Amino acid sequence: MTSDSPTRINPMISHRAAHIGRAVLRREDRSPLTGRRRYVADLRLPGMLEVAFVRSPEAHARIISIDTGPALALPGVHAVFTGADLDDVAPFPHKILYIQPVGQTPLAVDRVRYVGSPYAAVVATDRYVAEDAASLVAAHTEFESLPAVADLDQALAPDAPKLYDDWPDNYLVNYPAEKEEVTRAFEEADHTYSDTFVSPRQTGLPLECRGVLADVVDGQVTLWSSTQSPHIVRTTIAEMTGIPEPRIRVITPAMGGGFGTKTHIYPEDVVMPWISRRIGRPVRWIEDRFENLVSAVHARDQRHDVDVAYDDDGTIRAIRCKAYCDVGTGEIFMPGTAPVFVTGGCLTGAYDFPNMEVHHFCVVTNKTPSGAYRGFGVPEGLLVMEGIIDQVARRTGVDRVEIRRRMILQEDQMPYVMHGGGRIDSGSHAKSFERVAELIARSLERIRAKYADDPDVRVGVGYTNYVEPTTPTYHLTTGHWAGYDSATLRVDPDGAARVGLGTTDLGQGTETTAAQLVADSLGLDPDDVTVVMGDTDRAPYGLGAWGSRSAIVMSGSILMAADRVMVKAREIAAHMLEAAAEDVVLTDGEFHVAGSEAPSVSWSQVATAAWVRTVDLPRGMEPGLEMSGYFEPPDLEHLPDASGKVNAAASWSNGAHAGVVSVRISTGELKIEDYVIVHDCGTMINPMIIDGQVQGGVAQGVAGAMYEEFQYDPETALPRFASFMEYLYPTCSEVPEMTIEHFETPAPEQPLGVKGCGEGGTIGPGAVVAGAVSDALADLGVEIKATPITPSAVRQAIREASGPGGST
Amino acid sequence: MKPAVFDYYRPATVEDAVAALGTSETAKVLAGGQSLIPAMNFRLAQPDLLVDIGGVEDLDRLEVGSEGVMIGASVTQSRVMSSDEVAGAVPGLRRALGHVAHLQIRNRGTVCGSLAHADPAAELPALAIACGATMFIRGPAGERTVDAGDFFLGPFWTDLAHGEIITGVHFPSEPAGTVTFLDELAWRAGDFAITGLAAALATGDGTVSGARMVSFGVSGVASRMTGAEQAVLGFAGGDDGSDLYEAAYEDAADAVDDVHATAEYRREALGALVVRNVRAALANGNGRGV
Ligand SMILES: Cc1cc2nc3c(=O)[nH]c(=O)nc-3n(C[C@H](O)[C@H](O)[C@H](O)COP(=O)(O)OP(=O)(O)OC[C@H]3O[C@@H](n4cnc5c(N)ncnc54)[C@H](O)[C@@H]3O)c2cc1C
Repeated sequence: MTSDSPTRINPMISHRAAHIGRAVLRREDRSPLTGRRRYVADLRLPGMLEVAFVRSPEAHARIISIDTGPALALPGVHAVFTGADLDDVAPFPHKILYIQPVGQTPLAVDRVRYVGSPYAAVVATDRYVAEDAASLVAAHTEFESLPAVADLDQALAPDAPKLYDDWPDNYLVNYPAEKEEVTRAFEEADHTYSDTFVSPRQTGLPLECRGVLADVVDGQVTLWSSTQSPHIVRTTIAEMTGIPEPRIRVITPAMGGGFGTKTHIYPEDVVMPWISRRIGRPVRWIEDRFENLVSAVHARDQRHDVDVAYDDDGTIRAIRCKAYCDVGTGEIFMPGTAPVFVTGGCLTGAYDFPNMEVHHFCVVTNKTPSGAYRGFGVPEGLLVMEGIIDQVARRTGVDRVEIRRRMILQEDQMPYVMHGGGRIDSGSHAKSFERVAELIARSLERIRAKYADDPDVRVGVGYTNYVEPTTPTYHLTTGHWAGYDSATLRVDPDGAARVGLGTTDLGQGTETTAAQLVADSLGLDPDDVTVVMGDTDRAPYGLGAWGSRSAIVMSGSILMAADRVMVKAREIAAHMLEAAAEDVVLTDGEFHVAGSEAPSVSWSQVATAAWVRTVDLPRGMEPGLEMSGYFEPPDLEHLPDASGKVNAAASWSNGAHAGVVSVRISTGELKIEDYVIVHDCGTMINPMIIDGQVQGGVAQGVAGAMYEEFQYDPETALPRFASFMEYLYPTCSEVPEMTIEHFETPAPEQPLGVKGCGEGGTIGPGAVVAGAVSDALADLGVEIKATPITPSAVRQAIREASGPGGST
Repeated sequence: MKPAVFDYYRPATVEDAVAALGTSETAKVLAGGQSLIPAMNFRLAQPDLLVDIGGVEDLDRLEVGSEGVMIGASVTQSRVMSSDEVAGAVPGLRRALGHVAHLQIRNRGTVCGSLAHADPAAELPALAIACGATMFIRGPAGERTVDAGDFFLGPFWTDLAHGEIITGVHFPSEPAGTVTFLDELAWRAGDFAITGLAAALATGDGTVSGARMVSFGVSGVASRMTGAEQAVLGFAGGDDGSDLYEAAYEDAADAVDDVHATAEYRREALGALVVRNVRAALANGNGRGV
C-alpha cells in the first residue's frame, strides 16, 4: 500500500451512528420496483434508427457472397453493412502474447465460425423492418460449409479440422506443467486412480440483455451500452477506430445484471458508433434473448482428467489434473482464457494441499466464444476437489468429514500460499467448516426421519470448502489493464458530497455501499451522498465491476479521496475557528476544536468557503474541495514469477457450504432439502447486501448444479437451443431456502478489512449437490462427476452403476 | 425476435371468424396467444392474418350441467381452474391445470387453444383423451364433433382442417367410482412435462376394474397406453407393480430423446409414474396428481 493510502476511517472523525456494517436499505431499489429505472432499451433519441445484426446460421463456413440488394430495396431500410465495409476499423486487440491470435474483426469477414457470429448489420426505421431485411440478407448469403468441431475430443483429434488455418492445431492455450513432488508422490502412494469431471457450458443470463445506442455528432461519440466496464469500452473503441478517446463518452445507464458476461467488449460496441458516424443518425440495437443465448459469452465448459494418489489412511498424496476448457471460437475480447487458470489455481479450495499439478488447455471449437461468468472457474474446480475427497473416503472407508477436517486450512497457517501462488491472507476456514457441519448434521437427521417410510427415497449430504479470490488483477485476463480503481470526491457548497467512481453498478447495490463508505469517511449521512458511476464523462477512469472487486477498490479509493478532502477541509475549518488544524476534529458532521463542541463549523460553511466565499479561505489557499484517490490493492500481483506462480487476487474470502438432497430412485427426482452457508468476506459494509449476494450466487450455483446446459449437436456443432424452452434456469420455485451465517475475519492488508463477496455463493452448489447425490446413492455405487444433475442424469448414473437391466 | 407483418381481425360471430380464416391460407386463430405469439416472435409461425376469437359471442361460455362441463373457446385456463363447480363435476381439470404453466399464463391461455395447439408435452390433450372429451368444431362445411381420442394426430397436428375453429370442448362428468388424475415429471414447476400421465381409473371396489391411461411428453403425441391399461386391470396394490411397470415401459417404446432427458429415462419414468399413481389412487381414491 502506498504510504498515504489509508486502511481505516480517519481517526479524527467520530459519529454517534456510523453506517458501515449496518443494513442500510438499498437506494437503488425504488426505481426498478416502480418501473422508473432507465435501461438502454428505454432510451430513444430524435431521428433514431434501429439496427438488426445478421448472424451466421452455420457452425463453420466460408462466406462466398452476400447480396445486400434485396434487403436495401425493402422500404424503410436505410443501409446494410457487411464485414468488408468496416475496413477502417482495426481488429480487436491481441494483448496476451502467450495465446494464439484469433484476429477477430468487428463483423466476420469471409469466414464464420459459430452460429450467432455477426457478419452484417441492417439499419432501418424500426426493428421489425430491420428483421425483415436481416432475413433477406441471410437468404442471399452464399455459404460454403466447412467441417465443424463440436467438442474437445473432436478439436484435439489428430485429423481435426482447424478453426484457424495458420495455427498448428486447435489449442488457443497449451500450458502443460510438471512437478517433481507430484511425480514422486505417485510413485510412493499406496494407491492411484484416474477419473474425469465435467462442468458443461452455461452463461450468466442477465435479466436485461445487452444493448447499445450510439450517437455521433460533430465527431463526438456518445454511446449508451449495457456494460460492466464503460472506460474499457471507450479505450477499446478509440484504439480500434482511431477516434480520439476524449471525444468518446460511454454511458452505462441502469443495468439489469451482467454476472461477468458484460465485462467483455463486444462487436456491437464498436460497430454501432461506426454506423452512427457513417450515416449521421443515432442508432440503437437491443439484444433479444435468442441473440443473448448465442452471442453473449458462454462460460464453464471444462473437463478435468485427474490422476489421484492416496494412502490407505485416507491421505490424498497428490493430484494431477489436466484442465481443458472448450472456449468456443475464442473470438471475443477479452479472451476466455483466464477462467481455466483460476480453476487450476483455486481447485484445492480451502484445503492445505500443495501437491497439485495442473496442466491448462484452452481449445477452440465451433461454438459461441466463452468468457466470464460469476465464479470465474472456481466452481468447476471445487466439483473436482470435493469429488476426489469423497472418492478417497469411499475407497478407504475413512469418514468424509474427517478427511476434510485433516486437510482444511488452519488459522495459524495464515498467510498460506496455495500451490499456484495464491496467498490467502486470512480466513475462518476450519471454523466455518465445523459450523456448517454442525448445522447440516441437525437437518440431515430431521430429513432422514421425514423419508424413513419411503423406500424409494434416499437422502444424502454434500460439503464444500472454498476460497473466493477477490479483486483479481485484470492483467492476466486482458494482457493490458491491471488492478486499480478510482474515486473523485467533492463536497458541494451545501455540504452534501458527490463521489464519482470508476466501478459500475449492475444491480449489486454499489450505490448504497459507496454512500455508506463516503458518509462514514466524511462524517455525513448516506442521504447526503450522491454516487455517480457508469459515465466516462462524469466518473473517473476505472476498470468497472467484476471479480468481486468493488468492495475493496471502492473502499480504498474513497478512503484515499476522503482523507485528502479532510486535510483541506480541516485547514479551512481551523482557519474559521482560529485554531490550529491539528486541534480540529469532526463530530457528527461538525468541525470543532477537540474537547469543546462550540463553536463549530459545518461542512456547508467549509465547502461554501472553498467554492463560493473564497474570501474566507486561508490566505493563498487554492479554492475548491474535490480530491481523487487511485487505489491499487496491495498484495496484488500482475504477472507470474519464474515458476509460474502468482497471487492474482488482492484478497481471499472463504466459505463452507453444505446441503441435504433427497433423491427418488425410481424417477431420479432430486430436491435440495436444506442448504447451509457459513461465509466470511472480512469486514461487512452492508450485511443485508452481502446476504443478497450470497443468495443470488447460490441461485446461480444451483442453476449450474441442476439445470443449465448449452448443448450442441455432436455431428453438426449446431446449437440444440434457441430459447428458454431448451435452456432451463431455476426460478424462485426451484431455488432452495437457505441458512446464511457469517464470520468476519478482516483482510489484514485491505482497506477496512473488506474482502469482497460477489461470487462465493455460486461456487458451492455444484460440488455440494454432486456430493449429496453420490452420498444418497452410495450403496448403489453411484458417483456423480458432472453437472447439471437432472433426474435423467441421476437415472443414467444409477443405471450405469448397477449395470444393464438395473431398473427401479 | 420480432414477428413478421400480419393483419389482425376481431370478428363478433363464429360465422365471420370462419369466413375470415377462409380468406388466407396462412390465417390463424388467435386465442390466448400464449403459444402462438412466441412462435410468431421467433418467426416459426408467419400467419398473414390473425383472427382473434376473444370477442366472438357465446365462445366465453363455461357451463356445468349434469352431463359434464362445456368450455367455450375463449374461456381461460384460470377461469376453469378456479370454478368449484367445474372441479366438482370433472375433478381432473383442476388437477391438470395446476401443472399448466404459471398463473399469469393461465390468465390468458385458453383450454381450447391448448387442445388446438396439441403440444405433445401439454397436459390438457392427455386429460381430454383420458376423460373422453368431445371437441365441437365449426368450419366452412358447418359443425361437427370429434372425440378427443381421434383428435390428436401428432406433434402440433390435429384433426382440425384449415379454416376450422374449435368452438368448445365438452368434458363428461366423472362417473361414480372413477378417479381421474394427472401427474408429471418436469424439471421446474410449471414446465411442460418431461414425462406425464393422465388417467381415469374405475376403482370402485379397491381393485382397478377399468382404465383409460394416457402418456404425454413421452413421444410425439399424447397416447393411450394400451399395454398398461390391460396390465392394470385387477390390480389392487398388493404386488410390487413390476408387471404394470413393464407394460408402461413397453407402451413408451417410441419415447423421444431431447436436451432434457433420454428416451430411456422417459420410459423408466413413465413406468414409475404409473405404478406410484395407481397405488395412490387405490389408497386415497384420488391419485397423486391432487
Ligand atoms: C412460459 C410458458 C409456459 C407454458 N407451460 C405450459 C405447460 O406447462 N403446459 C401446457 O399445456 N401449456 C403450457 N403453455 C402453453 C399455454 O398453455 C398456452 O396457453 C396454450 O398452449 C395455448 O392456448 P392459447 O389460448 O394461448 O392459444 P394461442 O397461443 O392463441 O393459439 C395456439 C394455437 O392454437 C390455435 N388455436 C387456438 N385456439 C383455437 C381454436 N379455438 N380453434 C382452432 N385453433 C385454435 C392457434 O391458431 C394457434 O395455432 C405455456 C406457455 C408459456 C408461455
